[in-house]
Amino acid sequence: MTVAVACAAEADTRAVGRRLASLLRAGDVVLLSGELGAGKTVFASGVAEGLGVETPVVSPSFVLVRRYEGLMTLVHADLYRVGSSGEIEDLDLASDAADGVLVVEWGDVSEQSFGEDHLMVRITQDDEGVRTVALEPHGSWRSRPLGEVAP
Amino acid sequence: MTDAPAVLGIETSCDETAVAVVRGYRVLSNVLASQVDAHARFGGVVPEVAARAHVEAIRALTHRALAEAGMHQMDLDAIAATRGPGLAGALMVGFSYGKALAWALDTPFLGIDHMEGHLFAPRLDDPEYGPPAIVLLASGGHSQIVHLKDWGEYETLGSTIDDAAGEAFDKLARFLGLGYPGGPAIDRESEGGDPDAVRFPRALPDRPFDFSFSGLKTSVVTYVRKHHAAGTLPPIPDLAASIQEAIADVLVAKTFNAVEETGVRALAGGGGVLANRRLRARLAEEADRRGVALHLPSVAMCTDNGAMVAAAGVYRLGLGERTAPSADIDSSLRLG
Repeated sequence: MTVAVACAAEADTRAVGRRLASLLRAGDVVLLSGELGAGKTVFASGVAEGLGVETPVVSPSFVLVRRYEGLMTLVHADLYRVGSSGEIEDLDLASDAADGVLVVEWGDVSEQSFGEDHLMVRITQDDEGVRTVALEPHGSWRSRPLGEVAP
Repeated sequence: MTDAPAVLGIETSCDETAVAVVRGYRVLSNVLASQVDAHARFGGVVPEVAARAHVEAIRALTHRALAEAGMHQMDLDAIAATRGPGLAGALMVGFSYGKALAWALDTPFLGIDHMEGHLFAPRLDDPEYGPPAIVLLASGGHSQIVHLKDWGEYETLGSTIDDAAGEAFDKLARFLGLGYPGGPAIDRESEGGDPDAVRFPRALPDRPFDFSFSGLKTSVVTYVRKHHAAGTLPPIPDLAASIQEAIADVLVAKTFNAVEETGVRALAGGGGVLANRRLRARLAEEADRRGVALHLPSVAMCTDNGAMVAAAGVYRLGLGERTAPSADIDSSLRLG
């Protein structure tokens, strides 16, 4: 079942990502959804922190994929500039991240490309800029203790 | 100059397939797949990301670069190709092609750091340019300030902590419906606009040479939504000019921090963002005011190209370097 966390500040969004990291296993796929400026890269950077990645996480929008080494490899991808599911297949992200965790910004544009087993993270914001980070489990994610990501 | 080595340069680190022939630091030819097949590549907002696109283009482009240079491949003194950073699949195409061609021709092969290529690009337009210099490298994928201490000796003084400058241009242009690519769209739309119409925040992180553009993005999105709903949105040229000014202000301020801090009196640039006319004008104005020599390359030498890779190859060849046939790409290569 979906777990939603209210995040008033950027640090809160980052903290949800950081706590999610402790639930991650090799081969996991996390898809991020949210409008421009919602905080997808901030969330991904929290995941990286939680995985012990020491280099700063910067947006992969243009380079499409960035790899980071931590407790596990983090493959941080972004479909912002990628148009078709054919191109997504060409990128072959899943095998790139087989031994680590794959986090995909704008992953909702092609959810079906990543198989049933994934976590969908939807970040929305209200008029005051308060974000809601909703974690929506699919496949094996349904049996994981997602409630642990709440503060 | 005919005794200077002729080097073929191949660049396939991201979207663009590019091949050039350079003799010494003189460009004999410089061809891009996007020029050849403009319709397929710019028909939509979707760049070709697949390695396949590079595979399809590279052989014909190489032949074209040689033909335009008036050379036969047997006349090449070396072949240089981008080794990283970039997309692994894309890099692999140019790097493998370059290695194979060099092997077939029994000529030296050199794997080149893409960012070092950008550092050499201004040299192709301007023989006066050289170390020591401060170089602002800003594109969709990168934003950094490099201290060029000597050829081969580079120190990255600062870089973006979130989004690259070109990414801010592109995402905001798309958000405003101005089209793709975003940098040229904002440059164009801002003509006649008032850069002081909206005072968007200038994020200046504590570290004196680092950039941050994520806050600007969020601030513009929030501002536009609010004022659009209220029917008080300023005209697009004012918005575009205000966004451009915010980005240029930060790039200029941080760059000249580096100039002052190091005491280096020469400034250069590279990357697609350096094609922005307002940024170029602001850098020129500030350099002039401070008596700093400015070496901004032409727009064609700012964006990704094969000539810059070839130029770095000329330098590396002169050092007697060779990249072994067993060498591999390095998608996360970092400059100094």
